Amino acid sequence: MTTTPSAIKDEVNKKPRKVGASKMRHQHPFSTFLVTSWLVFFAIISLIPMIWLILAPSKTDKELSYRSPYAFGSLKGYVNAWKHLKYFDNGVIGTWLFNSIWYTAAIVIIATTTAALAGFVISASNVRFKRTFLISTLIMMLVPPVALVIPLFVEMDKVHLVDNPWSVILISSLYPFGAFLAYIYYTTSIPIELYESARLDGCNDFKLFTKIALPLSTPLISLLAFFAFIGNWANYFMPYVMLPSSEHYTLPLGLGFLFLSTPAINPGVGATSVPIYKPEIALAGALIAVPIMIMFLVSQKRLIRGMLAGSIKE
Amino acid sequence: MAKKKAYKHNNGAMYLMLSPYLLLLFFFGILPALMGLLEIPKPSMANANGGWDAFKIVIHDFRFGPALRHVLGFMGIFVPLMIFFVIGMALMLDIKHSPWKKWLRMAYIVPASISGAVAVLVWYVILQPTLSPIKGVLRYFHITESSQIWQQQNLVYILAIMAFFAAAGNWILIQYGSLQSISTEVLEAARVDGASIWQTAIRIKLPLISKYIVYMSVLVFAGGLQIFVEPQLLNGGIYTGIADSWSFDQLSYNLAFMQGDFGGASALSILLLIPSLLGALLVIFKTDMFEGAQGHIKKKDVEIVGI
Repeated sequence: MTTTPSAIKDEVNKKPRKVGASKMRHQHPFSTFLVTSWLVFFAIISLIPMIWLILAPSKTDKELSYRSPYAFGSLKGYVNAWKHLKYFDNGVIGTWLFNSIWYTAAIVIIATTTAALAGFVISASNVRFKRTFLISTLIMMLVPPVALVIPLFVEMDKVHLVDNPWSVILISSLYPFGAFLAYIYYTTSIPIELYESARLDGCNDFKLFTKIALPLSTPLISLLAFFAFIGNWANYFMPYVMLPSSEHYTLPLGLGFLFLSTPAINPGVGATSVPIYKPEIALAGALIAVPIMIMFLVSQKRLIRGMLAGSIKE
Repeated sequence: MAKKKAYKHNNGAMYLMLSPYLLLLFFFGILPALMGLLEIPKPSMANANGGWDAFKIVIHDFRFGPALRHVLGFMGIFVPLMIFFVIGMALMLDIKHSPWKKWLRMAYIVPASISGAVAVLVWYVILQPTLSPIKGVLRYFHITESSQIWQQQNLVYILAIMAFFAAAGNWILIQYGSLQSISTEVLEAARVDGASIWQTAIRIKLPLISKYIVYMSVLVFAGGLQIFVEPQLLNGGIYTGIADSWSFDQLSYNLAFMQGDFGGASALSILLLIPSLLGALLVIFKTDMFEGAQGHIKKKDVEIVGI
């Protein structure tokens, strides 16, 4: 009945089940063909939007209309699209990119640290109200963060943090899902006896964390950082409400701003002196989407292990 | 008893290490929920006398009914589509294990990186007959003008497709992972008893992963209810036919930031919080999804106090 991240890992990594293979012998070859074809078809469908997004900046706006959507323009196309983006509002795209990087980095560091510490304390000590802590963490984990965005704005306004990046960083650093993952990880990976013997050897509680738990936490830290990154890199609603000035925008907010203020996809805006068209905004979109795609592709197993942690049983 | 004393002695440091998370939980989880409640009865333009009538006023707002219809229409497509499609795909992936299927799983996860503002951009292009990477399909359905697609009645479908592609891949992988937790012996026994693949899927696999399906349904439902970014960006000029308060979150946003009615906006936020909260409580207390975690707590408490 116990749950361990390693058990989950084993489940995910284990050898293919022979039973599946034996069952297939009884399956009609035509059904197998249909199922396989559908699986492949959906994989192709899944790739189409990303292929367009990556290829679009290689072409000019005119080429996008008359050339095949799957044709590659030239590498110079990317360079030109970036140059045009840099003309927009005195290179504000660089500020947005920098903001996205530093807000996300700060959130990942604070969220991962606080969640790992919380998980460790709850698993290794007898602090009071553990059950209340766990239930409130689970509730916060299952309720979407945007549900509280209006009251959070009122709160931030009272402490004069509206239009200050720290409003978004601090709010987004509350990481109940991470605290829960850390709790499960420490409870199941580090036996309580290890802490007890370390205490007998004179280890204090800080050292229990830094000398015992932390060196054994590499898989946990990478899991926490992964989920914190994918949850915040493309976040739109919270920064949209909290950061009204364009110099504080993140890339997703900047992309939204480009939609509204250039004729790229907004027919209501007339021609502008800055050449921001579809290739340029596709490049801005790719800057948001490609890092997340890379994280997903290299961390498939982390995604499954993380989302199912605490529930798969041995 | 000695053990208990030792733990008590060390708890100061433990509380110190727990405090950063607790502070965040209090200030950005519990306090805003309380502040939202306290904000509701404050007098505003819409609720001049103040008081809990704010709920009634928000529900009778002329934009509430349309927003309810839109969100219900969107959820009516998005939630069942997600649940049936994701489970179907996970079951199909689980039929036979082949090394090349890992490439399929990788492909399925790619659209998950296209969400929010990027999803609006990409889907705008996909649905534009002159630019679309699926021009042939659009032509097959005699769609040659974007105005044939961008119509009021189609918005729920367009937004459901955007949300579906952003979320389906992750969940296919997660449910595929949950299917891997079913023991080989159970499946072998079903096979020996002569169960077909269909019977095994419906009678063995689905009941065994039902809690993961409830878990997914709650998260998908709660996320769908809060749709904001996509209709908000569409409203910004891409498709002028969309109402500026198309969804509940947009209405809440407009009440707060266009009308300065934070009481009404908070009332709507709390109304929207209720179904999400009920869903969360359903998963926590009515499924055994987190039973392992709660079991751990009880077991460890017993160990720690030395009983």
